[in-house]
Amino acid sequence: MITITINGKEIKLEKAMTVLEAARSAGIKIPTLCYHEQLEKYGGCRLCLVEVEKMPRLQTSCTLMVTDGMVVRTETEAIADVRRGILEFLLINHPLDCPYCDKAGECELQDLVEKYGPTTSRFREKKRKVTENLQDPVIVRNMERCVMCTRCTRMCEGVQGASAIAVISRGGHSHIEPFSGNRYDCEYCGNCVSVCPVGAIMSRLHRHSYRPWQVKENIETTCPYCGVGCTLVAQVRDDVIKRVVPKIGSPVNNGMLCSRGRFGYEFVGHKERLTVPLIKKAGVFEEATWEEAIGLVAKRLGEARDKHGSGAIAGIASPRCTNEDNYVFQKFMRVTLGTNNIDSTARMGYAGAQAFIENIFGQGATGNIISGLSNSDTVLVIGGDPTTVNPILGLQIRACSRRGGTILTVGHVPGLQHFTPMELKPGRRQETLLLECVVTALVSRKGLPGSNQRLEEKIKVVNADIATVAGQCGLHEKEMTDFIDSLAGAGTPAVVIGKELVQACNSGYRLFLACAISYLINGRIYLLCDHANEQGVLDMGCAPDLLPGYRPLSYAEFRKRYETAWKTTLPEKNGLNIFDMIAAAGSGALKAMYVMGENPVFNLPDSKTTVAALQKLEFLVVQDIFMTETARLADVVLPALSWGEKYGTFTNMERRIQRVRKTVGREGMEDWRIVAEISKHMSVRMHYADSGSVFEEITKVSPLHRDLTYDEIAEGATIYPYKGEPLRGATEEIRTDRGMTCPEGGLFLGIDRPLFHSGTLSRMSPALGKICPDAVLRINPETAATLLVADGDIVRVSTATGSLELPAVLDKHADRSVVLVSNIFEGRGVLGLMAAALDPVLGSPVLDTIPATVERVGKAKV
Amino acid sequence: MITFSQTTIKEIEEIRRKYPTSRAALLPALYVAQREFGWLSPEAYTAVSDLLGVPEAIARGVGTFYAMYRNKPLGRHVVQLCTNVSCMILGAERLVDFLKNKYGLEPGGTTADGRFSLVIMECIGACGTAPAMLVNDDFYENLTEKYIDEILEKYR
Ligand code: SF4
Ligand code: SF4
Ligand code: SF4
Ligand code: FES
Ligand code: FES
Repeated sequence: MITITINGKEIKLEKAMTVLEAARSAGIKIPTLCYHEQLEKYGGCRLCLVEVEKMPRLQTSCTLMVTDGMVVRTETEAIADVRRGILEFLLINHPLDCPYCDKAGECELQDLVEKYGPTTSRFREKKRKVTENLQDPVIVRNMERCVMCTRCTRMCEGVQGASAIAVISRGGHSHIEPFSGNRYDCEYCGNCVSVCPVGAIMSRLHRHSYRPWQVKENIETTCPYCGVGCTLVAQVRDDVIKRVVPKIGSPVNNGMLCSRGRFGYEFVGHKERLTVPLIKKAGVFEEATWEEAIGLVAKRLGEARDKHGSGAIAGIASPRCTNEDNYVFQKFMRVTLGTNNIDSTARMGYAGAQAFIENIFGQGATGNIISGLSNSDTVLVIGGDPTTVNPILGLQIRACSRRGGTILTVGHVPGLQHFTPMELKPGRRQETLLLECVVTALVSRKGLPGSNQRLEEKIKVVNADIATVAGQCGLHEKEMTDFIDSLAGAGTPAVVIGKELVQACNSGYRLFLACAISYLINGRIYLLCDHANEQGVLDMGCAPDLLPGYRPLSYAEFRKRYETAWKTTLPEKNGLNIFDMIAAAGSGALKAMYVMGENPVFNLPDSKTTVAALQKLEFLVVQDIFMTETARLADVVLPALSWGEKYGTFTNMERRIQRVRKTVGREGMEDWRIVAEISKHMSVRMHYADSGSVFEEITKVSPLHRDLTYDEIAEGATIYPYKGEPLRGATEEIRTDRGMTCPEGGLFLGIDRPLFHSGTLSRMSPALGKICPDAVLRINPETAATLLVADGDIVRVSTATGSLELPAVLDKHADRSVVLVSNIFEGRGVLGLMAAALDPVLGSPVLDTIPATVERVGKAKV
Repeated sequence: MITFSQTTIKEIEEIRRKYPTSRAALLPALYVAQREFGWLSPEAYTAVSDLLGVPEAIARGVGTFYAMYRNKPLGRHVVQLCTNVSCMILGAERLVDFLKNKYGLEPGGTTADGRFSLVIMECIGACGTAPAMLVNDDFYENLTEKYIDEILEKYR
């Protein structure tokens, strides 16, 4: 126990801290400028000076650690004098253009000068003049206002880990700049914007459109983009989201955001949002009333059921929609229409991988706390770049490295390149072999732990020795043994598994090997997760084999329970998964389909086949917020309220349930409400007053979510397994079939996963569009040279199913045997070109075996 | 895209090995780069950053802090004249005027023919024999106008 006295008040402290922190804990305010709780201490501005007895000079309280018996004074005449002086100096070069500055009202300098500052200046010379820099589409720099606190650079380098800005020049000429001096070439997290105490670095999105004091409400909600589930605060004026800021202390992201979360909110108010129901008549959409549209959907779905049977109808749910939406949707499919034909794009990888992992380790095995990653001593990354797929999770890996942890990667991970990873880069086709070798070596080094017999049976069969594998993979034996030694010596390891593993050839077998590694080193598994509610869509039972609460449909006992709760009889057999649905539509077996918040034409492989299949349907209804590629094929399009306009919950990859809140108003209905209305027209009443009552029903019927309330969720306490029962021991055989053989040689198409985009929502967010406007073809410079392609040239990339023309970008991070294209922009999605086989174990498409050719069709514009 | 000569690449790699971290190697590596290109262009920063694995912005932050790095192209020969206290007392400011009037060489500027650039220094440690200057790496002291004429004659 440390006792210190500040301004005559005795303070008892449990642990060591700075004088500033001690003062704050006791409610004593000390002015600061360079200090920021998220950043490393700096001691640069001197505003936090205090008097400490028995110390000769004034001390910076932000860096001074408390000692027992310390006596501190924070507000004396001498201190006030110094503060006045410091502020006078700061204002020498400050333009004092508060009336014009967006920061006014929340500017720390303004507040400090108002409280402590001189009212006049003795400085008569000319001020430094720097023009505001508007070269960047998203971030404005006004360096006249900069007070050189270096909060932004400490954020960018020390927390974000991007090191994209620095103090340039020295003395009175110092200023903050990205490398180019103009446009940023960075991760656009905007975290520098949130720590700048003055108006020197600001977001352009709300420039001159509101004042901080005009914000009516700060609405806390959950990011609509990825499976990390960051807490965001939406600031609203006149029913428009003006700005999104993070919240310090929030459980997942603690004051940090990525570009999508921070700058990707404009889709909500986009002018192309669907607002009226549309009915296609003679091939043309005509506006309709809700009555008409809902009546028609009910009638047609009813007819399809009565004429062709329930099995001829299918539904696609949405990882972008809330748990409430998805719950009601699957209930509608099962109870009203009587089919288990319900699935989502989680089938593209997440669902199969999670089921596989849980079959080995038990339910909830992937539900590990994201912030715990930074406390691991070793992080192994397999299958992609976590810093672009799940950016805030990526930051935790960087933090782990900064704290002295070891980062191991299989393959090259650009986002971790400055974090001293130990990399093993086998040829893309040799990854399976390499993983086998790691498993073999770990067994011989550490032995089998003995706790999971089923898994060990399978591990014992794996056999690949280092010398042979090193030869085949073109690696040095030494780098392999170093890598394996690090893994074997890990104390608190984590294994991060990405889509590049889950969507590769041998993916089921590779995932088994990754699980084996994790088991042998006693690691925690993190399964990267693309969409905000990808976990929730599964937990709600939007899968052909699952009931809400992630309960297998095949168990009669669970079926019984839901039959009682829903007063119905459920079809016993598993339904069609999303790929089966497309096939069945193509073959004519499926007659009607209901798609909620998904764009299968764009987001499933091989768009031609998907389009042809959907066109064969007798009836297609699509419910979405924009006119998507899929919606265009529909007979009826129903406009839904979007994220930001409705209440509900998302479940993130940790399986933390979090609140989504309405921020702005719009006329219309939530997805669940539209579904319930249709159900009502089909004489199956679903009575929900609001999203809260849907959630209440979920907590009554789902054993996993039992007794939860919105209030508890708001406290952030709802971490898996909540208060419910996870499911242990649903143990099927662990499959280790290898699936298709990996083709050797040649050039293959791959997926570019840009940090700045997710798809449907991001492409309708202008700011993200300005950061990353269009699809490109990423190609390794050496590969490009052999094809005589120069940076910026227009190339045509073709596969067996189609081709695209795009500008080429030479990217030294790209593998020599792949060319990468994103799946974001309309008309230029890579998945459409990929007629992929499915992995027999995971059921996810194998996307790394699509041969591609690239030819130059146009010269770079100079 | 500029590239270093093989010797420079070797030298920078050699430097890198002498330091515990790549950032620590930044100062000497930038100096070598400057020697090769005469100044630190954005491309030179990128090349150093690639070789050392240090982010470009950080490299440029360092290179714009220290006075011995040149962030714009200079003349063929660089005159570094001291105007600090001792040199000033002994007439350095007159010499600055002299360079300006006779050679058209302003502090921080370059002659129209690209022959000389002038950089004003703060004490080059020759106070005892002030005024003093450097031309490239050569040192000259006890300067007078006439002596400067003679010296500059040597640099074409
Ligand atoms: S937006 Fe993020 S990455 Fe870019 S300069 Fe700011 S802190 Fe760095
Ligand atoms: S730009 Fe802002 S955060 Fe960065 S040093 Fe200047 S005042 Fe501080
Ligand atoms: S990391 Fe994911 S959840 Fe967090 S702000 Fe970015 S996109 Fe949103
Ligand atoms: S806040 Fe302590 S020195 Fe800046
Ligand atoms: S003052 Fe000129 S050399 Fe010291």
